[in-house]
Amino acid sequence: MHNAGEMAAMPEPQFAALVSSLAAAPAGREQLTEMLSENHPLYDQRGRAAIVRMRGWILLALSHAGVSDADLLFVLEELDTGADAYLVAAAARALRSYPVPSPDFAPFVIRAIANIRYHNEHVSFDNYGEYAVSSAGTSPVRELLATLVWLGPSARGVLHELESLRAHPGGFSRKLLNDVDKAVKAIRASEQVNEADVDKCCALPSSVGSMFAWKDGFRRKSESIESIVFEDHEGAQITFKEFFQGHPSIVVFFYTRCDNPLKCSLTITKLGRIQKLLEERNVAGQIYTAAITYDPAFDSPKRLRFYGQNRGVNLDSRHRMLRTTDGFNALRKQFKLGVNFIESLVNRHRIEAYILDAEGRIAASFERLQWDESRVVDCAVEMLKEKFEKTKSESPVKSTTSPIRRSKASPMLGALASVGVAFFPKCPICWIAYLSMFGIAGLEQIPYSPWLQPLFLAVMLINLASVWFRGRSIGQMKAFYLVATGALLIMLSKMGNGESAVAILGIALTFIGSVLSALSAYKGAKEAPSSV
Amino acid sequence: MNKKSKNTKSAKSRKEPKRTAKRSVTQAMSIAASGRKSVEERVAAMIEMPLAVGETDSDFQTVMNVLADKDNPVEVRLAALQTLQAASFSVASVESWRDDYITTLRSVAEDPDPELRQRVLGILAREKDGFTQKKLLEGLENPEKALVPPEKALQLLSYDVHAEAYPVAREIVENPPNTAAKVEALRLLAADADAAPVFEKILRDKEEAPNVRQMSAAALNAINPDKLQEHAREILLDNSEQEEVQATCLTALTQFGDEKAVSGDKALLRRVSRLSKKPSEQIKQSADQFLSKYADEGEE
Repeated sequence: MHNAGEMAAMPEPQFAALVSSLAAAPAGREQLTEMLSENHPLYDQRGRAAIVRMRGWILLALSHAGVSDADLLFVLEELDTGADAYLVAAAARALRSYPVPSPDFAPFVIRAIANIRYHNEHVSFDNYGEYAVSSAGTSPVRELLATLVWLGPSARGVLHELESLRAHPGGFSRKLLNDVDKAVKAIRASEQVNEADVDKCCALPSSVGSMFAWKDGFRRKSESIESIVFEDHEGAQITFKEFFQGHPSIVVFFYTRCDNPLKCSLTITKLGRIQKLLEERNVAGQIYTAAITYDPAFDSPKRLRFYGQNRGVNLDSRHRMLRTTDGFNALRKQFKLGVNFIESLVNRHRIEAYILDAEGRIAASFERLQWDESRVVDCAVEMLKEKFEKTKSESPVKSTTSPIRRSKASPMLGALASVGVAFFPKCPICWIAYLSMFGIAGLEQIPYSPWLQPLFLAVMLINLASVWFRGRSIGQMKAFYLVATGALLIMLSKMGNGESAVAILGIALTFIGSVLSALSAYKGAKEAPSSV
Repeated sequence: MNKKSKNTKSAKSRKEPKRTAKRSVTQAMSIAASGRKSVEERVAAMIEMPLAVGETDSDFQTVMNVLADKDNPVEVRLAALQTLQAASFSVASVESWRDDYITTLRSVAEDPDPELRQRVLGILAREKDGFTQKKLLEGLENPEKALVPPEKALQLLSYDVHAEAYPVAREIVENPPNTAAKVEALRLLAADADAAPVFEKILRDKEEAPNVRQMSAAALNAINPDKLQEHAREILLDNSEQEEVQATCLTALTQFGDEKAVSGDKALLRRVSRLSKKPSEQIKQSADQFLSKYADEGEE
């Protein structure tokens, strides 16, 4: 067992021997999988070419030992976003060692063909670190086509795409056309097999999920990084706590010097699309977005701004491109970022996007495979709902902090005030009459208080105003008309002979209008998050 | 002449140049590949056909064989390399033979001829080729294995900011085999943002060669432009500074300076005004450009 320092300083020949020994021992398999993580100490301070050799060798070792469920995500990741011929070829070969072909693999394989065919080159798998100097070896496209043959009927979902590439001039090298035809033939065999037999075995195992979510009680607190100071695309400084707390956020990581177009550049472009989806769902003001650079020393505010703007990202106080001014390592630890460095420069990283809850804790992450923008937005909207639910449940007594509770309580108070105005006794004799009635109920000790009448009147008018405001904000004025009519009738009854029938009608209209107003507001508040 | 015969003739005349071109490519190919022809004839034939090479796989293969065959005169092999390089930019179907092209180049990377070797390594380095980076690093660590001089190796490695050349570049900055190698090592280190203190130190060291300090200024501008502005101001105000370095500082401030801060800096403007009267043409020109940008704004 080697410690982190030994791993980082390990010479490549020793590494190759270690990989071979781990692959040979069943107990070593887990370690091999761990060694595929970008943040493994093995990759610290190595150049990219060395990392390609090392990861490629691990994938080849796995291809001999057989890829397990735990390895599959790394293999598919390389096919999904890989830009290096050696790694893509090794991943294609490794996939063929998985026990069962699955139709879910086919899109990864065809995408890898489309990505790598303009960078196709010969690769040699014979010895560690060997580069092809003749055409005797294999190539990524050849390996990918062999993987399609292995998938056979399971790849029928991509047959059309493969045939289109075959027909397109320059789609495939002429030397590879025989391999393409073999793949097409193998896939076409699906017409002769029972479709049910193909489908029943084949779904990606759960370990391949590239999205992870943590329930409220299981999220890591953000206290250790709250004081980290960021500089944004305008050069303004803001702490983690200031920017990420009080609302959910979508966070992606990237760096401007990344030369894999399927990683950082695409991630930032997708962030721009996420912002548009947030706007379409009217939550752009409630869910913040941030792109944080892995390369804070190089990515100046100006570089961040241009990089974001050139990829369609909207930048303002709620949507920022950020770099840490200090504390990147704490951030790296908190997010467990899949990244490693040579000097200050990134040498390898995965794709990663995070959803933070309103307390700045990681609630979900999307890793390695290309993520779907709608799914990320859905997840962030869930966090927004969670925030509403929490606000509601945390403040049952303090009615002033709960908009829903307040909207229900105030009309009730207004309606009661209307009753008070309508039935308030005009003189001490009326009061005695009321008291004789209260006496039956044992309430004869209540003193006559003429000041209560203007108070009831004021509350009734406040209720009227509140119903008007609420009606205007939700675009429904029916309740206001009812309450206004009710108030008018009550006032008329007080100015006249105190017609109790008019007063009762006024009270009834006020009551109905107030309840209707409260219910409309409640319904509006309840539907707001789910409609997004 | 009836219409039909006219059409036939025009169709014929459209076809003829194509056939001529094809024939000439075939002839050129045959001359270029023939060991019995003179070197001059073969080079001329090779240079004649660059854009036509991509028409068939066999054409590419023929030219690649000429390049890889060590028995061919180096002039012919260099011409073959030039032909392939031109075709790799212009031919739409380059991906058909890219894999063979890369392996052919790798097979020539250790050729005894230094010019051919260097040019091939240059093409591969621009492709960020792992094989080439490995060979260049080996050469820097062990000069006996070096395929190119250290300054060239560093220059080629700097094409890929992710190459593993930083430790060796730092070593060369500390103990340079020559000034050119030190300049190239600094250029390479300019990709490492943590190297800013190294550049600051060299920039302010009057004992360093002017071109080394100029390189440091350029690197610092890429990593930390604000820091360069601070140093540039101090260097310009220093009467004992090297003129070449002052000229670089003037250019840096003219191109990237903070307009408000610079145009409000009376001491700096006065100093540059004096520099503009110096006999050195280089510094005079840089100072004039500086003043035309900032002096007017300062007066406003």
